[in-house]
Amino acid sequence: MLTDLPLFAALKHKMRWHEARQTVLAQNVSNADTPGYEARDLSAPDFGSMLGAARARVTSAAYVQPARTNAMHMTGRLSAGGMTQEAIDTFETTPKGNTVVLEEEMMRLADNQMQHQMAVGLYQKGLGLLRMALGRGR
Amino acid sequence: MDFLNSIMVAAKGLRAQSGRMRVIAENIANADSTASTPGGDPYRRKVPTFRAVLDRATGAHNVELGPVARDPSAFSVRYEPGHPAADEAGYVKRPNVNSLIETVDMREAQRSYQANLNIISSTRQMLARTLDILRS
Repeated sequence: MLTDLPLFAALKHKMRWHEARQTVLAQNVSNADTPGYEARDLSAPDFGSMLGAARARVTSAAYVQPARTNAMHMTGRLSAGGMTQEAIDTFETTPKGNTVVLEEEMMRLADNQMQHQMAVGLYQKGLGLLRMALGRGR
Repeated sequence: MDFLNSIMVAAKGLRAQSGRMRVIAENIANADSTASTPGGDPYRRKVPTFRAVLDRATGAHNVELGPVARDPSAFSVRYEPGHPAADEAGYVKRPNVNSLIETVDMREAQRSYQANLNIISSTRQMLARTLDILRS
C-alpha cells in the first residue's frame, strides 16, 4: 500500500537497483584476476519515466508501460525490471584480457553506497512526513 | 536477497585470493629446494590460475581457483661440485623461482584481498542503513 505512492515506489526501485549494482561490482572485484573477464556495470535506469508510469497507476514501478493512444493498440511490457548488465568501456586491459581496474571499482562502490544511503534517508524522511500528517509527531 | 549474494561473491573472492597466497608462500618457501639425487629436477614454480564460474542459483559469476599449473621456464644451474644433486660436471639445477616476482605477486594478492574485504564491509553498511528504516 505504501508503494502506491509514487515517491516510495521510485525510492524502492532505486534502492533495489543499487542492491543489484552492488552484486555486479562484487563480481567485478572478485574476478579482478580472472583472464578474459570483462568488467560490467548496470545500465542507468530512467527514473523519470518510472515516476511517470507510477503516476499512471501501474501496479509495479519496475515496469514501464507503453501509453496506448488508440484502443486498437496492444498493451505490453517494455522491459522486465529495467536492469540490464552491460560491459563498460575501460582504458586498461591486461594482456590476459582482464579489464577490471580496482581503483575504478572502489570508486563505483563508494558512489553506489552513497546513493543508496541517500535513497534510504529520503525514504525515512518520507515516512516522517506521513507520520506528521497522521498527527503522530516524530 | 541481493546483498547476501554480494557478500557471497566477495567471500568466494577472498577464498580464491587466500588460495593464491598459499601458492605464493609455497614458491617462496621452496625457492632453494634442489633435488636430492644427482641430475634430478628441483622444485618447479607453481602458478595459480583463476576462472569465472557462473552460479546458477544467484546468476552471478563467482571466481574459483582453477588447477595449479607449473611454470615451464627452464631451470638455472649453479656450479657446486660438492652438492649431492650435482651432475658429472658439478652443476646443480636450481628452482625457477624469482623471489622478487613472488614478492610483487604477494602484494597484488594482498591488494585484491583488501578490495574484496571492502566490498563486504560496504555491503554490510548498506544493509545496516536499510534496516535502520525500521528503527526511525
